[in-house]
Amino acid sequence: MTQAADKPILSQDLLLGLAEQLKLPLLQIARRSELASFGQEVDNAAIQATADSALRLIDSYLLGVRLAEEGSQQSLALEPVSVSSVLYDTAHELSSLAKFYGVHLELSIAGKYGPVTANKQALQAALTSLGMSLIEALPALDSKDVTLQLGAHRSRYGIVAGLYADTPSLNADTLRRGAELLGKSRQPLVGITHSSGAGIFVADTILQAMQLRLAPTRHNKLYGLGAVLQPNKQLQLV
Amino acid sequence: MKILLLEPDKILADTYRQLLLSADHKVIMCATAQAAIFAADELSPDLVIAELQLTSHSGIEFLYEFRSYDDWTNVPVMVLTNVPAGEFAGSWDLLRDELGVTAYHYKPLTSLRSLLRAVNALAPTPA
Repeated sequence: MTQAADKPILSQDLLLGLAEQLKLPLLQIARRSELASFGQEVDNAAIQATADSALRLIDSYLLGVRLAEEGSQQSLALEPVSVSSVLYDTAHELSSLAKFYGVHLELSIAGKYGPVTANKQALQAALTSLGMSLIEALPALDSKDVTLQLGAHRSRYGIVAGLYADTPSLNADTLRRGAELLGKSRQPLVGITHSSGAGIFVADTILQAMQLRLAPTRHNKLYGLGAVLQPNKQLQLV
Repeated sequence: MKILLLEPDKILADTYRQLLLSADHKVIMCATAQAAIFAADELSPDLVIAELQLTSHSGIEFLYEFRSYDDWTNVPVMVLTNVPAGEFAGSWDLLRDELGVTAYHYKPLTSLRSLLRAVNALAPTPA
């Protein structure tokens, strides 16, 4: 039997965080719908983007649970994956939500990285989940420039794919404290987000299923969270 | 009435703003405790509506700061939050007496209609 303690995504702490997080889109939908009864125009596209983001978060959580229950790297199909393509598709997935939060998305994928070893669906789910959390969090920081950059760069440890903003609180301390407070606090990542930040923890647990982890990273003088991916050597020989 | 709305979620803030504007209130929106203090200093609100769950500094910290100024000791404060009231069961004295919270509303159970009713009830009566 799988032990929840060994697999954070199966823990009650994350489920509590997810439940708390899902209250927000439901509340947004309920209140925006109610505006119509006050003679106000209701933006159906905003309601749809909100519902879609909630559904994606649930899907990402379920994917993480399935991967954790399957239990080993062997059961997760790792394949050569183009980082640029994953980041491009992630930006596309995030675009509607970003628009309604007034967050400007930027892609920084210049350079040739070659394929990395990952599961494309899982990597994209993790980055999308992370992105949704950051999109919701950035406007609450009252910064003038609300830009989220999706970027890749080489480091001495591998190819880093991550999401970046001008937010110093995206750092190792905040992540470490957040992991300790998950399930104990309503706001485990209080320096980053006013919500439970469940999307960030879901991203981390999906990455863990690929033997990766969510880590703080810097790129283009911005602060970010991302994953260090290993180049796919098999394909490089071809 | 001039209302200072301290709400970190942009979509909810826009929704509450639209509602309050439709009832002829003026709304100043802020997402952080610090921005709310600056806005209060500049615009002297008649009412503050505040979420307690904010990024970095909490709504409680904001209220301590806000109430520390003589000019704002009598401005009514309505808490509109995702934190269920039950979690403050042992701290009503702090919220009511020390921080001057006039009303406490749990967001998931507070419809726009009931919010507007509560806001209008706090409007100053003409002399």
